[in-house]
Amino acid sequence: MKAPLVVAAVVTTVFALLPYFVPPYYIGLMIPFFGYAIALLGFNLLFGYTGLLSFGHAMFLGIGAYGAAVMTGLGVKSFELVLIAVILASAVIALPIGLLCVRYIGIFFGMLTLAFGMLFHSFLFKFYYVTGGDSGMRVARMNILGLEFAKYNKIEFLTGPFYYYCLGLLVIGALIMWRIVHSPFGLHLRTIRDNARKAEYLGVHVRHFRLAAFVISAAFGAVGGAILGFRVGLADPDLVYWTQSGQLVFMAVLGGFANFFGPIVGSLSYILLQDQLQSFTEYWRFALGAILATIVIAFPQGIAGLALQFKRLVAGRSA
Amino acid sequence: MTVLLETRNVSKSYGVFRALEQVTMAVHEGEVVSVVGPNGAGKTTLVNLLTGLLDPTAGEVLFMGESIAGVGPVALADHGLARAFQLIQIFPQLTVRETISAAVVSRQKKRWQFFADLSADAGINARVAEVADIFGLGPRLEAVGASLSQGEKKLLDVASAFALDPQVILLDEPTSGVSTSDKHRIMKTLIAAAKRAGVKAIVLVEHDMDLVAAYSHRIIALSEGRVLADLPPARFFADSHLIETVIGRRGGH
Amino acid sequence: MSAFANILAGGVFHAAVLFLVAAGLQLVFGVQKIVNLACGSFYALGAYFGITFIGYAAQFGMSPWLILPGLIVSGVLLGFIGPPIERLLRTIYSRDESFQLLLTFALVLMFQDVFKFIWGANPRSLDSAYLVYGTIGAGDFSMPVYNLLVILAAIAIACGLGAFLQRTNYGRILRATAENRVMAEALGVDVRRIYSAVFTAGAVLGTTAGALVVPTSAASLDMAIEFVVEAFAVVVIGGLGSMRGALIGATIVGLIRALSIVFFPEFEVIAIYVIVIGVLIFRPAGLFGRTLA
Repeated sequence: MKAPLVVAAVVTTVFALLPYFVPPYYIGLMIPFFGYAIALLGFNLLFGYTGLLSFGHAMFLGIGAYGAAVMTGLGVKSFELVLIAVILASAVIALPIGLLCVRYIGIFFGMLTLAFGMLFHSFLFKFYYVTGGDSGMRVARMNILGLEFAKYNKIEFLTGPFYYYCLGLLVIGALIMWRIVHSPFGLHLRTIRDNARKAEYLGVHVRHFRLAAFVISAAFGAVGGAILGFRVGLADPDLVYWTQSGQLVFMAVLGGFANFFGPIVGSLSYILLQDQLQSFTEYWRFALGAILATIVIAFPQGIAGLALQFKRLVAGRSA
Repeated sequence: MTVLLETRNVSKSYGVFRALEQVTMAVHEGEVVSVVGPNGAGKTTLVNLLTGLLDPTAGEVLFMGESIAGVGPVALADHGLARAFQLIQIFPQLTVRETISAAVVSRQKKRWQFFADLSADAGINARVAEVADIFGLGPRLEAVGASLSQGEKKLLDVASAFALDPQVILLDEPTSGVSTSDKHRIMKTLIAAAKRAGVKAIVLVEHDMDLVAAYSHRIIALSEGRVLADLPPARFFADSHLIETVIGRRGGH
Repeated sequence: MSAFANILAGGVFHAAVLFLVAAGLQLVFGVQKIVNLACGSFYALGAYFGITFIGYAAQFGMSPWLILPGLIVSGVLLGFIGPPIERLLRTIYSRDESFQLLLTFALVLMFQDVFKFIWGANPRSLDSAYLVYGTIGAGDFSMPVYNLLVILAAIAIACGLGAFLQRTNYGRILRATAENRVMAEALGVDVRRIYSAVFTAGAVLGTTAGALVVPTSAASLDMAIEFVVEAFAVVVIGGLGSMRGALIGATIVGLIRALSIVFFPEFEVIAIYVIVIGVLIFRPAGLFGRTLA
């Protein structure tokens, strides 16, 4: 059990040193990676560990981004305040929605969450005098840890201090999620995923725990969304469309949803993949679709799953 | 002797169909009570009522004096009643250790601990090892559910129910699918395990009359929703008419 | 009053088209238990191809009177994509249902770029040749006859499908396979051929619906992903797997849209989602669906 921690420490160090070796363009790409990775850690608690596939999760990304925009409008300068606010907001919104949705599983849960996600999307359009409708809402640059970094321009700020800030957030988020997943609570979530009926007979409060997983995943999603909104400087209704939720699922499956690090691997791979494909061809969506289809059919364990298999192979055939 | 689990004049109807009619029975401390009867006699309905899955149409279902009508499986586990099923129910991706731990977590009320390290919890691990040993699953603790043999899965299913520290355990055809030569061995293991685990009474639903004869203190026979007999084995098997109704052929064992 | 009637007529037309797609979805779900996120893509494909087909046909001197049958033919021609896609989906039948959603989502992504590649990023539309059928009306109310014909066609297809499923032997086999696939197989039914046929039928219903709609609206890239949400709303409201549900659900959604434009223009789209959520909460099986396990 220590090995993952070593790997994580090494990877974190690599990321910390990255700005010294890699051009700023790619560092800039890492910010959305951090955002999506955090959101996906939460998403995977719901999907990989509790067995619930939500097709409306982009809604919480939206709450994060629009929350940051609202805070901008209120003149808030501290990003930490924004994070706290969006965590609370997403939890409060996730509670009633979750209460309704966790009564169902499988396709129905997926459709219900898709419906709620699109409902949120339509609200963003209908109340355009608040949300800016199609044009979105501005997210201003803010202080991180109370520091303004006024000397840095936007790009320098994003590829410098903010990069490390987000790396820090990801590490913290991953540590928190690691503890959750390896706790008694996490064990009960997994029993729900594997056999909800049997879990009930072992005293597992199935509905309560599904709801708890839903709310926690919402909070992580909001943090990710705030980072995304901050980076672009804009909260955009497209962030909330059902195809964005589909993209989240894509990232989770790409990385491997049965694995703790899968979501992180998945979001990094997706971001890099999309970037490279976009520079090759304007038909990158087709390529991504083909990749998703291939994974679903042939490699459902995703990249992390494959890596694990490879590791086992290399380590010999010990049981 | 204290009454642990009982029904009083319980009836259950599904629309016009009356599955159970005025059934009164009790399970006392220290007893193994078998419920037998032909298919359709109402055994499953009675068992579902006894384990809080159904609301009776009339009458009461009491556990330690408290009504458990329709409380549901989760509350059941908290009350101290456990149930193991005829069709094996396991967690395919969880190890034996994790499966038993899940029950222990419920029992030790640690379910809402978000940040505690499960693997470091000595209290849980000790209890898991204990229960696994009782059922001979010690060497298989780290094996994943899907990789177990049918027999091992069955044992795990029952072991996880035992790990709840129930006062009463309900076993639904625990030896079904097990080869005849193994049946007695399994039953002896289960009953001994129950004693060691502190279980105070067992309710057994069985078709195999050999086992019923060998291990029950009392046999309750259901037929067409009514209690036909509530007798110790000696008297039960002496009544050939009874045997015929329940098993459908003349002669006893 | 007549403005209201016009809008209502538009709603019924919309419902007719929705019904066709929903019927396809229900058929596929009922028999194969597959939820097809790419149904919107089939719809868009039908629309784009319909425009191209009619364009070519007009060049070869086809009379404008043949637009309706022409569009239907173009929809049916696209049925050839059914079997290969079904073969693809076959690989994940035995897996968890999440995988279906993922695989059909992958198809959505791929189709988007196929459309872009063949037809470009800008919306395409048919000229108003379909007005050759004339319009029908009373006073201020008027509706193109074309729309009426489509509505009638949808009703005819609804009756035809219903009769087919209930009265014919093949229909019975389909229903049996839907109820219990293993039993059907044991009774000698070639389930694989059935699945292929059913999926193709579902695809054709979708593409034909898309083709029929192009005289009145443009084909665009957004069509494929926007339509999915409405189609799902219909299926949820009507109940998964039920043909009657598709009919009633489509009527409800079509009319709600029309009515909210009149009465609650702000909430037009929201109304649909609220109803979907309501149905999923109070009657998760939908109006005519079977109860959930």
